[in-house]
Amino acid sequence: MSTDLRLGLVCPGRGSYGRAQLGSLPAHHPVITALDTERRRLGRPTLTELDGAERFVSSRHMAGQHASLLTFGATAVDLAALDPARARVVAVTGNSMGWYTALHAAGALDLPAATRLVETMASWQAPEEHGVVGGQVLVPTAGEDWRPDPVLEARVAWALEHPDVHLSIQLGGTTVLGGTREGVRWLMDELPGQRRGSREFPLQLPLHSAFHTPLMRPTSDRALVELGDLPLRAPSVPLISGDGREFRSWADPAEILDYTLSTQVVTAYDFSLAVATLVGRYAPDGLVLPGPGDTLGAPVAQVLVGIGWRGLRDRADFEEAQASERPLVYAMARPEQRRSVT
Amino acid sequence: MAIDRAPVVDHNFVTTVEGLAPGPPRSDLDSPVRPGTGLTARRALALFESQVRSRHLDLAARWLKARGTGFYTIGSSGHEGNAAVAAALRPTDPAFLHYRSGSFFLERSEQVPGQTPVLDVLLGMTASSQDPIAGGRHKVWGSLSLQVPPQTSTIASHVPKAVGTALLMDRMPRLGLEPPVPADSLVVCTFGDASANHSTCVGAVNAAGWAVTQNLPLPLLLVCEDNGLGISVQTPADWIAAAFESRPGFTWFAGNGLDLPHAYDAAVAAADHVRRARRPAFLRLSTVRLLGHAGSDVEQTYHPLSRIEATEAQDPVLATARLLVEQGWRTPEQVLATYEEIRERTLALAREVEGRPRLLDATEIMAPLAPRRPEAIATEVARPSDEGQRVAFWGGRLPEADRPRHLAVQLNRTLGDLLVKYPHALVFGEDVARKGGVYHVTDKLHRRAGVGRVFNTLLDEQTIFGVALGAGQLGCLPFPEIQYLAYLHNAEDQLRGEAATLQFFSNGQFRNPMVVRIASYAYQKGFGGHFHNDNSVAVLRDIPGLVIASPSRGDDAAAMLRTCAAAAEVDGAVCAFLEPIALYMTRDLHDTGDGLWTAPYDPDPPHVPLGRGRTWGVGTDLTLVSWANGHWMSLRVARRLEQEHGVHCRVLDLRWLAPLPVQDLLREAEATGRVLVVDETRRTGGVSEALITALVEGGFRGAMARVAAQDSFIPLGEAAYEVLVSEQDIERAALELMA
Repeated sequence: MSTDLRLGLVCPGRGSYGRAQLGSLPAHHPVITALDTERRRLGRPTLTELDGAERFVSSRHMAGQHASLLTFGATAVDLAALDPARARVVAVTGNSMGWYTALHAAGALDLPAATRLVETMASWQAPEEHGVVGGQVLVPTAGEDWRPDPVLEARVAWALEHPDVHLSIQLGGTTVLGGTREGVRWLMDELPGQRRGSREFPLQLPLHSAFHTPLMRPTSDRALVELGDLPLRAPSVPLISGDGREFRSWADPAEILDYTLSTQVVTAYDFSLAVATLVGRYAPDGLVLPGPGDTLGAPVAQVLVGIGWRGLRDRADFEEAQASERPLVYAMARPEQRRSVT
Repeated sequence: MAIDRAPVVDHNFVTTVEGLAPGPPRSDLDSPVRPGTGLTARRALALFESQVRSRHLDLAARWLKARGTGFYTIGSSGHEGNAAVAAALRPTDPAFLHYRSGSFFLERSEQVPGQTPVLDVLLGMTASSQDPIAGGRHKVWGSLSLQVPPQTSTIASHVPKAVGTALLMDRMPRLGLEPPVPADSLVVCTFGDASANHSTCVGAVNAAGWAVTQNLPLPLLLVCEDNGLGISVQTPADWIAAAFESRPGFTWFAGNGLDLPHAYDAAVAAADHVRRARRPAFLRLSTVRLLGHAGSDVEQTYHPLSRIEATEAQDPVLATARLLVEQGWRTPEQVLATYEEIRERTLALAREVEGRPRLLDATEIMAPLAPRRPEAIATEVARPSDEGQRVAFWGGRLPEADRPRHLAVQLNRTLGDLLVKYPHALVFGEDVARKGGVYHVTDKLHRRAGVGRVFNTLLDEQTIFGVALGAGQLGCLPFPEIQYLAYLHNAEDQLRGEAATLQFFSNGQFRNPMVVRIASYAYQKGFGGHFHNDNSVAVLRDIPGLVIASPSRGDDAAAMLRTCAAAAEVDGAVCAFLEPIALYMTRDLHDTGDGLWTAPYDPDPPHVPLGRGRTWGVGTDLTLVSWANGHWMSLRVARRLEQEHGVHCRVLDLRWLAPLPVQDLLREAEATGRVLVVDETRRTGGVSEALITALVEGGFRGAMARVAAQDSFIPLGEAAYEVLVSEQDIERAALELMA
């Protein structure tokens, strides 16, 4: 077992809390208690109630106003579980909503402020309040072996020429496209289907808006007004944004706030660049994925394959590395990997 | 006494910082880092980290070298104040960097998101094929996204093209062209104090000042990083100021590179001046050199320890640390935590690159050297010009309506048509504008294309090439003219070390296409002497990737110039176009008035591919192989051989000296079984050496011989013919071969 691992921290996006995660939150954990208190104050169901439900109801658990904080809460619990003597976080990033969590993980936002940010941004996605703005569609751009596939990449480039389609997230071997309802319908109709494991693509993410696209401008405008007083500080740990910027201890909080409430809301979130930048600048021993599930594992690995980190050429190389004494990714949702960092 | 000073400098930093007395803590990061400077604490903290990263890169280079996995230890230690220059500029300002400008490069990397500069540089140091700029071909500072073209600055050979880039930067918009960087960019070029003595630097400064006196905008910031040493040779303390403080056209600035706020304030003032006034500035940045010249340099052999230690005490990184601590922005513990954290991650990156792939074979190494896409070139040649623009350019009298004309006129017409076809084409050199060139090849082009596109330069071939390099790099298609082949030699490295290497050292990411026309060779009647009749081409022939065209006839020249332009346009080719002066005005071949050396001007001539010769005659007794003047003489001798001796020849005009038309050569050699190479260049190092070698290596088993010029410089007057190949020499050798 390794000691004193230098790790990059990668915070997951909202889609991470799913059916398999039901009942996984530690009910009396101080983080969950604090979040539940806030939810009660807002008159919303607590995380404990949502997580303790008898069954997973997609329309409820996956709705933004609940899924976001469930993901945030589960991630924040894991952050508190990291053993700094064994797992030293040298830099932080996140995917999509995971950026908000990353701000907290890097010390730029305390728990209440991060909670407020997540809650506020999520609440505006609530269908019963404002309706979902367009949608997001996942399209693979890598082959089964995780190498970039130029044919699939060309399809994405082709799709992006449609006026109702925008780049939303570069997610390793998957591109997330955002669009209006018409754009999403067009994508689902026109993009050739393909299978990855048990899933069929293109895949529309349920109850997701066209995040990180110009369609979110109203949300950004509102956030700049209502969250402009967010008590943001410069991070204590280097923080890599979804456009590859690095914010350090001398960063201007106003710049981080502008990125958080404006830039990343309305322009594509390049998670691939963020991970490649973190790894290429810090050469961590590995990347730790806190929070529910391990769905970010494959995109992270695909980025590492893409930059040839530690000589990786494809999925088989990555799986071999994972089985070695120096794994590259530590998903805290996997008990055997969690043990190395807690 | 420690031989390796790196551990000493490292240790000094740590122990000195530990002992610093911190000032009262401060947190208002937008305040000046100390009273009286424009450098904020926030910026200073960022710059300090760039300085530390540069220092640890130097240390990691030595660590890799010691392990046998790194190959480059020339470092930037002592020069870390140049981070302040980067901070005063924009990442879109083209930057031609000194090999010690590591902190500049790292700081600029912070201005563009998503950069991994330390990893990138380490990949270069370990010669990994994954090095993102040079692909493992050399350790260079370079990045396309950072506007840092790669080069070596050791002989200041990058300064002329910095001048050229600055000249074109402001000229392009006036020509309706869009430079690849914002219109208010400036060009920065850094170099060392020892390099400043090279003719390239001195000449470039001279050329920049000359341009200013012509009222030409020239947004150029020259930065001399003055550490007072050229390896072991000392630069006098006031030499740089004495040599450059009062140069015409330049505004002088001085910054203390050992004091970050001072360096920053000076760099900001200099950059602001250049950007606003569009006039050049010279910034002397005083620095020191730590850790010796390179890892292999033992400074103790030429400097006493007391001097080395005194220099080490001026460590600029330590100076910034002291500033941050004493002004209360950081505690010693925080500074050391940063220092050690950067050491840790730099070494982690160094370990990562050790396992990265290397270049494995010559094909992979040479791939970006000179890409050739013959079909794309042919397509580009065939792309027509706008006919209306042609008519306007030629004032309604299209050149094809003219009578058959000779070489100089054919070149003039072709250049004119290329100026029409390529709005970004430029023609320049000494005397090319109003005078129309010494041999009238550029006659009236400046009037037709405008003085912004056809212009005179001062008489300095390095500058002419510098303008071409800068123009090509900015996306123009330059046609520089070198007035005589003998004048190429003083500037030849601009072609060799700069133009020809750019695609190689940037793995094809940067390019500087150009077609340099050179009035060449001997045989001028009544105008003699070495400097106007030089016949040495060896210096060009061994430049990897260089295209060398050398036509003999006007119609071939017209087609070949179009081929060169297309190759430059589509593949970024660097082409030397050697024009035989003695044939510029030649109209006849055999007899007075036969007009056989003229041809009608064809605006759409048959394409002449690179490296393809042209065969004259179908004789089966003897093959004469030549080009340029030699071809003209060979055709004349061939007729005499046939008429007077019954020897039936075929004559191969090579047309290209690189790539050599080897297949054409072998085919025509086999057709007769006897080859005479007629080489107007010198016997030693001349083209015939390569041709005979190609015949032997190509399996030709027939008879072969060569006539070539003597290994002599060309004397004045009639005596010139004693050392040059004559028609009598050709005829005698041909008959000997037939005997």
